[in-house]
Amino acid sequence: MNTDGDLLHTVTTDNISDSRKRLGKLMVWGTALFCVMLALQQTIYQSGRASIGFETWRPILYAYMLWATALCAAQVIVNGEKGKRTLFVLPAALFVISLVVFPLLFALYISFTDWNLASPKGPQPNGWDNLVQMWNDSFYWNALTNMVYYVLAVSVEYVIAFGLALLLNAQISARKFFRIVFLLPLMLSPVAVSWMIGKSMLEVRFGPISRIIRDLGGEPTFFGNPEIARFMIMAMDAWTFIPFMMIMLLAGLQALPSEVLEASKVDGASGWQSFKEIIFPLMLPVSVTAVVIRIIFKLKLADIIINVTSGGPGGATDSVTSFIFREYRDRSNVGYGTLLAMVYLVLIVIFVTLLLKLVSRWMERPA
Amino acid sequence: MKVDLYNYIKAAQKMNRRQMLKGSAALGAAAMIPKTALAGGHGNVRAEILKIPGVGAGSPTDSDWQKVGEMCLGGTKGNVSEGEFEGVELTFMGLNNQNLHNFLFRGFLKPWEAYTGAKINWIDLAQADYNARLQQSIATGTADFDIIEMGAPFEGDVLGKGMASEMPEWVKEQIDMDDYVDYLKAPVGTWGGKTYRVSIDGDCHTFAYRKDYFGEGSITGRDVPTTWQEINEVSKDLIGKEDPLTGLPAHGYLDPLKGWGGFGFYFLENRASAYAKHPNSPAWLFEPNTMKPMVNNPAWVQAIQDVMDLIDAGAYPTDQINADPGTTAFQQFLAGTGSMLMWWGDVGSNARTSDTSVVGDVAGFGINPASERVYNAKAGAWEESRNEAPNMAYIGWGVYVMATVEGDDKKKKAAWSAAAHLGGKDLSLWASAYPSGFQPYRNSHFQYDEWEEAGYDRAYVEDYLGSNADSYNHPNAAIEPRIPGIFQYYSVAEDELAKGYAGQYGSAQETADAIAAAWEKITDQIGRDSQISVYKASLGM
Repeated sequence: MNTDGDLLHTVTTDNISDSRKRLGKLMVWGTALFCVMLALQQTIYQSGRASIGFETWRPILYAYMLWATALCAAQVIVNGEKGKRTLFVLPAALFVISLVVFPLLFALYISFTDWNLASPKGPQPNGWDNLVQMWNDSFYWNALTNMVYYVLAVSVEYVIAFGLALLLNAQISARKFFRIVFLLPLMLSPVAVSWMIGKSMLEVRFGPISRIIRDLGGEPTFFGNPEIARFMIMAMDAWTFIPFMMIMLLAGLQALPSEVLEASKVDGASGWQSFKEIIFPLMLPVSVTAVVIRIIFKLKLADIIINVTSGGPGGATDSVTSFIFREYRDRSNVGYGTLLAMVYLVLIVIFVTLLLKLVSRWMERPA
Repeated sequence: MKVDLYNYIKAAQKMNRRQMLKGSAALGAAAMIPKTALAGGHGNVRAEILKIPGVGAGSPTDSDWQKVGEMCLGGTKGNVSEGEFEGVELTFMGLNNQNLHNFLFRGFLKPWEAYTGAKINWIDLAQADYNARLQQSIATGTADFDIIEMGAPFEGDVLGKGMASEMPEWVKEQIDMDDYVDYLKAPVGTWGGKTYRVSIDGDCHTFAYRKDYFGEGSITGRDVPTTWQEINEVSKDLIGKEDPLTGLPAHGYLDPLKGWGGFGFYFLENRASAYAKHPNSPAWLFEPNTMKPMVNNPAWVQAIQDVMDLIDAGAYPTDQINADPGTTAFQQFLAGTGSMLMWWGDVGSNARTSDTSVVGDVAGFGINPASERVYNAKAGAWEESRNEAPNMAYIGWGVYVMATVEGDDKKKKAAWSAAAHLGGKDLSLWASAYPSGFQPYRNSHFQYDEWEEAGYDRAYVEDYLGSNADSYNHPNAAIEPRIPGIFQYYSVAEDELAKGYAGQYGSAQETADAIAAAWEKITDQIGRDSQISVYKASLGM
């Protein structure tokens, strides 16, 4: 028995012959070469510089799957028992690469084309034109500005959510009932919220809220004024997602060490003091997680806007996603729409990275 | 017929017991007649199918659709022998709105399948998914269907790219195309002089108004406006007055000021067509030789200015800036807010049948209002003459056979036979009289005697459907360009209009210029030369 190497993780020792190793490598490189050659040939065919090719790209997909299968099989052929362990992860990794990396690369290519679905030419690379167009697109910048307001609104949502979590963590009667009630909005689809609240309860003529305002002598207007319209969108979105933050914060509160709180009480700390000095600092990690996830949700805000205001009045409520939706669905402007989405993705990655860095520095914890 | 229209007519007319019994007796008698006799006896078929299931006898079901399909097989039998398409499989892509469209087609075509031996596979799509699915199929060249139910605005995308099969002569004869209302005749349904479309529907916007707002002693004290200038005056005069029905503030014309996925632009077109659609040219959106937008010419600017003036005057209901066409029709006009509106057939039909409608007894109809002057784009000057130009918004649904059947004569004939069956003269009469999702679109559909005999109230049918007929056959009907990406133009225009209405542009001219600039970009992106050629083809030039 071999007593060298990693004995803890080795079940059996393989004696793999060189010819077997060569076979495995040949399988991988052979199928890879086949796949690449096929893809190259198809690219040349599609560009009109070759007469032989396939009608669709499906055969290249099959070649890729053949390569992936050969790669998996080769792990065992070349590495034996060790290769079997790799097999636990490799198919999943290949799957992720297929469904995330390839589409992302394809999207990157598309975003530098002028692809309009109605165009008979199909996608044609157009250099930096889409970026220039984006730079001069007041609708996009307007939507980005709106996103700043929407993201800032998360701070208010956080305060409300924390308050509700404290309330539901306290010894109040019917606590379980209120926990469920406060969670209900989160269970509703934002589309349902759009119609139930935005298009029905806030309907200017016969919506119940409008009637109450009119009965009180006021003239209701919810989506006619840019500022009020933006606030109403924020309010509807907040109503839906505050329970999400609340439930996370509530879980954090329940996990707080009771002995620390009891000790503060023994030391004579007031309610405000124990919140300020103990609860809030201890809750910071949970708070940061809740706020960051909420911001990520917020950056995707679109459904309520699309259903209630379509971005109006005059773009006052437009989010980047709702604008891209119009660019994509209504105008079939795939190239430009994809570029906007890619730029937005980059902005989000930068923003969230900076946010996490700042938070970790503030909390003096490694990111 | 649109479902709501059917319900409306049922509610609007006063059908007595005797009429009901007449209908039932006739239906009973029809059931005893051999099917072949019915199918063969052409003159008889029209009267007999209108009794299935009978007006006031509940909504038709699948068995009714199959009965109608069976009785209307005469045309098919004249061109196809029994079992001729044995072994042929066709795929049909259409809508499933309101459980109509494809649902009816299945029933209509079941007897056709039994007779011809062909088999049809179905792709049902929701309206919201339809455009994206079709655009993707077009863009990727992956038409996985042989027959499609499609709106005429997409003809530029599909016919312009040679994706459809040309209609054979025998189909033209079978469906009697001469019977189409004028605006559905060529160039609609044709491309490059070739015919592709079997029409199964017609569409236009008609004028709906509140009778209690007009006439002697009414809140306005004047006749129903017939021009946009009068409409604007009335709308301003009504500011501060009280609605006679609801007691809430009175309002005049209801312009939707919010976009609606491109469809909202049709409503600015309603105003603009009277100003911009000069009888001397079919073009009113683009100049045919250059694709230069006409949307910023004085006629269109006038239309935008009208709306801006009414906004400034405070003539619209509160929050109108957030009102899309659906809101103006169903939450405002039908609910008693506002007195004038342009819309498709649904508004008239919902007036009496919808639970939220309060205007059923006071709704009147007409064609798109005229203008006291018209802009002559060729001369670059206004002409002081009255101009009417009904807006044929969306042009209606048709059945098209795809080029996928080319190269297989048997399959091609089968596909066209199925399309011809659905667009048959008799079958279409039934579809226009009962809930189907389709409006009348043939001159023969407006033979009111047939409707009366079937049990409909003649006065109402004449009044309401008459406004459609007058629009369809108008010599200066404004027909939208069937060019690729037409809804892209509409959609971007909606965004710019929203900015203009919100006061973000300095004037109507600036707003119109912004639309024109955006349209130019789209034209360049799709390809100006190809757009010019398809635009000319769509105009029959």
